[in-house]
Amino acid sequence: MYDLIVIGAGPGGYEAAAHAGRLGMKTLLAEKEFIGGTCLNVGCIPTKTFLKSARLFSECRSAAAYGVEIAGAKWNQAAVVQRKNKVVSTLTRGVEALLKKNRVEVVRAAARLQSAGLVQVGDRRLEARNILIATGARPAVPPIPGIDSPSVLDSTAVLNLTEVPARVAVIGGGYIGLELAGFFFAAGAAVTVLEMLPRIASGSDADISSRLQQAFKKSGVTLKTSCKVTRIEGNRISCLDDQGAAFETEAECIVNATGRVPVVQDLGLEELGIDLDRKGIKVDERGRTSLPGVWACGDVTGRRQLAHAATREGLVAVNEMAGRRDRIRYEAIPSVIYTHPEVACVGWTEEELKAQGKEYKKALVPMAVAGRFLVENEGGSGVVKVLAGARYGEILGVHMLGDLSSEFIVAAAQMMEMEMRIADVEKVVFPHPTVSEALKLALLEIA
Amino acid sequence: MAIPIEMPKLGNTVEECLLAKWRKQVGEPVSEGEIIAEIETDKAVFELKAPASGTLLATFFQSGDAVPVFANVCVLGHPGEPFELFRPQAGDPPPGPAPSSDSRTTAEPPPPQAAAAPAAAAASPDRPSLSPRARRFARERHFYPEAITGSGAGGRILESDLLERYHRSPRPSPLAKALLDDGFQIREEPSEAAGLIRSSDLRPPAAKISTMRERIARRMRESLSSTAQYTMNASASAVGLLALRSRIKAGHLAQSWPDININEMVLFCAVRALEQVPELNVEFLDGRIYRTEEIHIGFACDTPRGLVVPVVRNCRRLEIAELARKIKTLARQASEGSIAREDLGGGTFTVTNLGVFGIESFTPILNPPQVAILGVNAIGLKPVRGKDGGVEFVEHIGLSLTCDHQVIDGAPGARFLKTVREKIEAIESLAPFPR
Ligand SMILES: Cc1cc2nc3c(=O)[nH]c(=O)nc-3n(C[C@H](O)[C@H](O)[C@H](O)COP(=O)(O)OP(=O)(O)OC[C@H]3O[C@@H](n4cnc5c(N)ncnc54)[C@H](O)[C@@H]3O)c2cc1C
Repeated sequence: MYDLIVIGAGPGGYEAAAHAGRLGMKTLLAEKEFIGGTCLNVGCIPTKTFLKSARLFSECRSAAAYGVEIAGAKWNQAAVVQRKNKVVSTLTRGVEALLKKNRVEVVRAAARLQSAGLVQVGDRRLEARNILIATGARPAVPPIPGIDSPSVLDSTAVLNLTEVPARVAVIGGGYIGLELAGFFFAAGAAVTVLEMLPRIASGSDADISSRLQQAFKKSGVTLKTSCKVTRIEGNRISCLDDQGAAFETEAECIVNATGRVPVVQDLGLEELGIDLDRKGIKVDERGRTSLPGVWACGDVTGRRQLAHAATREGLVAVNEMAGRRDRIRYEAIPSVIYTHPEVACVGWTEEELKAQGKEYKKALVPMAVAGRFLVENEGGSGVVKVLAGARYGEILGVHMLGDLSSEFIVAAAQMMEMEMRIADVEKVVFPHPTVSEALKLALLEIA
Repeated sequence: MAIPIEMPKLGNTVEECLLAKWRKQVGEPVSEGEIIAEIETDKAVFELKAPASGTLLATFFQSGDAVPVFANVCVLGHPGEPFELFRPQAGDPPPGPAPSSDSRTTAEPPPPQAAAAPAAAAASPDRPSLSPRARRFARERHFYPEAITGSGAGGRILESDLLERYHRSPRPSPLAKALLDDGFQIREEPSEAAGLIRSSDLRPPAAKISTMRERIARRMRESLSSTAQYTMNASASAVGLLALRSRIKAGHLAQSWPDININEMVLFCAVRALEQVPELNVEFLDGRIYRTEEIHIGFACDTPRGLVVPVVRNCRRLEIAELARKIKTLARQASEGSIAREDLGGGTFTVTNLGVFGIESFTPILNPPQVAILGVNAIGLKPVRGKDGGVEFVEHIGLSLTCDHQVIDGAPGARFLKTVREKIEAIESLAPFPR
């Protein structure tokens, strides 16, 4: 009898398993494919290694602006993939070590629920007091005729390309699509992004997404918003614009980045009558599903679809199992888009606050107020936007566009997590010179 | 000669102080200026010093007791001297538990209702109360732990007990602290066991009702508890009312006429009915019935501040235009808040209208010492038997009459309601309408 069986070894599942082990729970982790899940193997980490190479390459080309002349920089996609694999395997070993250290039994097999306390793992039937479903998500396949053509690749397939295509069309202007578009563009491809909504990165604050859009356009990426892909034939993509006018575009590689759907098949969920909908398994703020003893976290619940959110959700569920009251809150969970310039946000957007009828104050400060930003970004631009409650000055949202912002958004998240008000933040000292000083100035501008 | 030592008055608002600790025991010698006991108020700790040298002959309170100011706490003197005469008498302000943290007696804001807050603890006789300093500590930090054992006498909770607990407990976040200062309260069950008390764990302060609301509440309770009210419902054909109304709207009547609405027409009919059935135009006070010659009609007005009932005086034989004009003036003043006090009392009968909200019948509440109130409901179609024996639909206005059965039996009440109906149905012939 296990205290906990975790299904899926992504950042939701493996962190939860390790935490449970740390708390002394007898824990088993079942993974059918790869330790580390999407995040480590085909998600966060591989894309970021790709983007690092891309960044380096474009920096080589613009190095002259910094007084460094580099001639003959060349892109080697095979080496880029190789490095990615090396980073991934290093990190996977790290995860394995973490699980071992916390005495988690890892089984490399698919798992399926038999009943509330019973799990089929490979050819074994195991009993467990608690079951945590962390089976993640996979790329969505939208009902576009021709989406199954060989020229269409999803994000997973893209990560194994050994050559950079001449022309790339990315369907979907969300963060995955934008990161991949930026990657291919920097690696030398001609890139078109096709987004159905009127703006890219549509979940972001409009002040940020509109500037990101400008930056993309300026760089030379073709952006088509309010554009509906109607058909794919070989390399040809047929679209409708917002006026209903048809147009076509061509690309050797078509990236399907239209979102991700929860992995809920072959788990026995329907048989057990566990509540789920199109977005995923339904859970409460403590991670409980509709069936007592069965919990879920991460992408399979369709809430935030971020690795660190999956981790936090998993920890909440384990804490609850162990009798430590906990609950997930999303107000202070940051998110990052690793484009160039990058986007880092936490909290409510201005549009959301307006919709809530919340009274707020705001500050919008150019990143260039921080000396370090100018030092690091020749010709670059960026902004910091801070939203705070009108009455108490509590920080409601921080939205940043500009390189390095991903590294200090956590400061804003911390402030929000602790429910600091602008007045409380004044005592926090920001190191000089850092880009983070732009955040400080934006906060002070509200005060 | 033995001397009593009394509890000093430490501050203007202090009514009692906590005897925190005896530093001398009965029988011990004490020299002048020596500390006999420690006293706590909600602001500080004071020392009770011996005014002269001697022996501590008697103590009248135990540590942990709340002692009224100026009460004798102990007696100094020579061994053997009598001291009983100094013992605080029963008639003196009683020692014993400090006033509870009930806001009415201490003028403090009520503490947040944290789980089993000591507010409740102190209020219930079997739970220990807080020392004044502990109370202040708790109030300033919004800190109300549950199930705490006090180390003072009788389990009284001292500041030190709270302090210890405080350093191990969740604290409000800066935002939560600001909200608590604004009167927000901690909900029964904080959502997370440890860590921060955050804004989502709080609920907004309970809204205090306005003085006006308080007055309405009291009057309504009094009405229900001092009368034997009952309500009857009927309806009258509204054909005449509607015909008159449309003629007024169309401007067919003389310029000098105000824009008389349905409510004003019904009020006018009620006056006419009261002229005919004066039994309802009386006041019932202390078992006596007071008849009044005049008819003063109150009408309920929904204002931004709540229900207001202006009174139109001397309605007898008032023409409808004049009556409507008076109603309109008073109603405007009532909603602006500029109405004179004398226009708010002295009614002998009341009319209240919920028909504008589509209400079909309700139970108006009497306005004692009045004995009747007429509720006006919505106009709606009602099937009636036509002259040819078939069924016709005719617009009817609903009427709900509440009477005090102490004075008005069912039959006279019903007779009045019937009269009102007749007046309404005959409205067009009731008054000389200028054309
Ligand atoms: C291209 C890309 C880039 C991304 N970049 C970022 C980023 O920069 N930052 C970020 O926060 N997020 C990023 N994400 C999202 C992130 O990867 C996911 O939010 C995260 O991996 C979710 O974790 P999870 O544990 O819920 O599921 P997953 O990581 O998807 O793990 C689920 C695991 O469960 C296993 N599994 C499924 N079914 C079974 C079964 N029946 N039995 C046993 N095992 C099973 C799967 O094999 C998988 O390993 C990115 C995603 C993609 C695709």
